[in-house]
Amino acid sequence: MRRMSTTVEFAQTSELRDIHATDRLGPYLSRMWARRQYTWYVSASELRARQITTVLGNLWHLLNPALSIGVYFLIFGLLLDTTRGVENFMLFLTIGLFIFQYTQRITVTGANSIIGNIGLLKAIRFPRALLPVTSSLTETLTSLPTFAIIYVMAVLTGEQFRWTWLLLPLILAVQFFFNTGTAFISARVTTHFRDTTQILPFIFRLLLYASGVIFAADAYVSPDLKWLFIANPMYCYIELGRWSIMGGSLGESLVLSALAWTVAIFIGGFLWFRAAEERYARD
Amino acid sequence: MTETAVNRASLTGGAPPLSLSVEHVDVKYRVYEDQVLNAKELFGRGFRSRRSTVIHAVRDVSFTVEVGEAVGVIGANGSGKSTLLRAIAGLQSVAAGRVLVRGEPHLLGVGAALKPQLSGYRNVMLGGLAMGMERDEVEALVPTVADFSGLGDAMRRPMNTYSSGMRARLAFSIATLQIPDVLLIDEALAVGDRDFRQRSLDRIKQIREDAGTVLMVTHNLSEIRQTCSRCLWMREGELIQDGPVDEVLEAYDQDRAGA
Repeated sequence: MRRMSTTVEFAQTSELRDIHATDRLGPYLSRMWARRQYTWYVSASELRARQITTVLGNLWHLLNPALSIGVYFLIFGLLLDTTRGVENFMLFLTIGLFIFQYTQRITVTGANSIIGNIGLLKAIRFPRALLPVTSSLTETLTSLPTFAIIYVMAVLTGEQFRWTWLLLPLILAVQFFFNTGTAFISARVTTHFRDTTQILPFIFRLLLYASGVIFAADAYVSPDLKWLFIANPMYCYIELGRWSIMGGSLGESLVLSALAWTVAIFIGGFLWFRAAEERYARD
Repeated sequence: MTETAVNRASLTGGAPPLSLSVEHVDVKYRVYEDQVLNAKELFGRGFRSRRSTVIHAVRDVSFTVEVGEAVGVIGANGSGKSTLLRAIAGLQSVAAGRVLVRGEPHLLGVGAALKPQLSGYRNVMLGGLAMGMERDEVEALVPTVADFSGLGDAMRRPMNTYSSGMRARLAFSIATLQIPDVLLIDEALAVGDRDFRQRSLDRIKQIREDAGTVLMVTHNLSEIRQTCSRCLWMREGELIQDGPVDEVLEAYDQDRAGA
């Protein structure tokens, strides 16, 4: 029996590429771009699947947020009366909750984007960052009706039209990039610790109270501690959303903080996610 | 089309170019032991890392494959064949050495489903789009897939309702939607019926003619005789022999008879 000689000649290998070498950023992004139809297709069909599986279908996308607004309004608006410093508490709550839930939904769905696609990951090599981006787009499409509710609620509660109403989509677009960044992070964290999906709801519950969703931070928090809120991206997006619909003053630091967080989390999240690119298909 | 697809027209004249170069590859991975601990042990040790063993699954394996070649891989269970294929697909990291590939490899494993809860049709779409094909392109291929896989109306049913043969047939169809640059088949044909196996082997021939490269792990030696021009024999992670099919199979048979 002949032992395999170790002097195999590795000639003319210049046209081949090392399968284990991570792509440089440029080719990686263009490979993602070439697969953009995957993102659209999955988001659209996921949306359709969700509509079919519940009896009330599409209506739930509206009923669910409306019910949660009702619950919070009942408890915090009527029973506990945390409306200090807020004129239109119903609208205040609606904007706060919907903007908050936008990030929450994407982060939670993003957490499942790798571990829920093992079959695909094991069969086909494609830029893994496609999966969190797809979750992000899916949840954005799901959230569109809730954003429409904000305008409906503004009209119903007698808010005067301002030109800044037109800025809300822009604010949400900025938030989309932040959310995609959190999806990158939660997707990778979940591959290290499966229990992340169990812990996330509690983190978001804590954040809900720390982000001034159900009370006006200005009325409850001493000015010394105001920086804590401004350093919180969720608070910034919520306040920007409220400013665009309800008016009032807008601090420069709030805008800067929101933009800085968006850039940092989106780019940082992407790079951190990609650093583990080769590991995602493993058990 | 995949951006890495080779301009196949330029690959004529002279010696066939290489499609795959596996150079002194070592693969090690860690497996965790499943241990039942009582309460005392759980608190004493259970919070520290689990007990694990490092498996040295592939040892210094080197070979090259030319464009358009079909190579069979044989060896006993646990000889590192599947691990080698996963390493070539880029799905298992190597401890040493390197794997150079022309174009995109596609691994076809046993019982493979991309998304079991989705219908066969959606799996075809997902697979095609993830490979970087255009949506229209994939949609146009769906009837061909339904026909080739023999699934017909079952294409609309979730894949987790399929029999293992149906799953294998669909997975093979997805993997060969396009002529893959390098197709790695890990016993994926074994569960198909005779008729489907024959069609798959015909398809593999076609892939070779279109300059695709095929590496197949199988225990069905007649499949290798029928399809491959070359054969690799692995034992305990090492490449024992690399040569023409008849030669290697003969040595393999003698070895088994002796053992």
